[in-house]
Amino acid sequence: MDCRHFALRVDDWLDGRLNLAERQLMQSHVERCPGCRRGYEDAGALRATLRMLPAPAVRPGFAERALATAAAAPRRGRQAMLGMALAASLVLGLGVAMILFAVRPEPVHTVVLTVRQPESVRLVFNAGKPLPGATLSLSLPENVEIVGFGERRELTWQTDLDEGENLLRLPLVAHGPAGGELVARVSRGASSRTFRLKIEVRGADAAGASPALRASV
Amino acid sequence: MRPQVEFLHRLAWRFTGSVADAEDLVQDVLLKLYPRREELAGIEQLRPWLAKVLYRQYVDFVRQRARSPVAVPAEDGQGADDPVEALAAAQDGPDGDAERGDLRARILAALEQLSPEQRAVVTMHDVEGYSLEELKPILGAPLGTLKSRLHRARQRLRVQLGMEPFSALERVKR
Repeated sequence: MDCRHFALRVDDWLDGRLNLAERQLMQSHVERCPGCRRGYEDAGALRATLRMLPAPAVRPGFAERALATAAAAPRRGRQAMLGMALAASLVLGLGVAMILFAVRPEPVHTVVLTVRQPESVRLVFNAGKPLPGATLSLSLPENVEIVGFGERRELTWQTDLDEGENLLRLPLVAHGPAGGELVARVSRGASSRTFRLKIEVRGADAAGASPALRASV
Repeated sequence: MRPQVEFLHRLAWRFTGSVADAEDLVQDVLLKLYPRREELAGIEQLRPWLAKVLYRQYVDFVRQRARSPVAVPAEDGQGADDPVEALAAAQDGPDGDAERGDLRARILAALEQLSPEQRAVVTMHDVEGYSLEELKPILGAPLGTLKSRLHRARQRLRVQLGMEPFSALERVKR
């Protein structure tokens, strides 16, 4: 056995896919070839470390929130579900940067939703300095709602914005062809900024026809 | 579906290395599957089936991100999204082995350099312990493809980590 053959089979050896005769050949080679022995040890160390790689725990409340969001999403037939999955994948991750306390006048951004299909829209608020206790208000157009919030079109809450980018994920669903404007307002003390997100809605038949990602910063 | 959320989240994190992205992936899978939960109850091997759905969603997710005209940071401002930071929160504890922790952190960074298909096969096989036979239906690829994909993924990881990459050509010359 030469080093090339050893290199080709070392994964099979470590994965236990070699028969006895092959294992003996590999063992014999690794005992007399320092380079391959080092590589074999590295491969074993990599595998052992991968096997012990921990994953972070689910954040408290995430499972309940995610299931509640899934439960509140509009029901569709099986065929429509496939369309939703496709459309969601096309729009997932769409981001709109909103520059807080930095840009004037605030630009208007555009996102495209597909009617009756929940889609994740990300708003990124870029704060020039930490803003503890800021008030964030959202106002939604008539045909658009946040999944899980029913017909509530106005939401206001207090939050701490870190310096830099602060991400807000909004699962939005449009119930009709008419779009409109989502208005986000951030205020703290006497200062406030208003941002506008233009929402366009396309018909379900158009789902998947084009990525149609139109966002501008 | 509640008992499956931890499983989905763990796999999603292994695929993405980001808590925010993992949560997005899991949310999308739950949105997709929730109306079919009665059907899920009848599936014998539920976890491999869920892993397959999650994997497809992950590949779509990566492709979509590559197409997106706007760069969106993975972080969500809640701290635990940096792979190394998240790892530090999950790993050894007060008596943790610093050297091993460092290797793990470097492995996470190296995983970032893999294609989504390579990352999926190496994490499902080497971390989660699925056999290649089990991964055929989950990852939707024949055995030979999975073997070569896994081999290349490991080779790339070893190169990224400064390990011996088994460079066959160099060895033949010796």
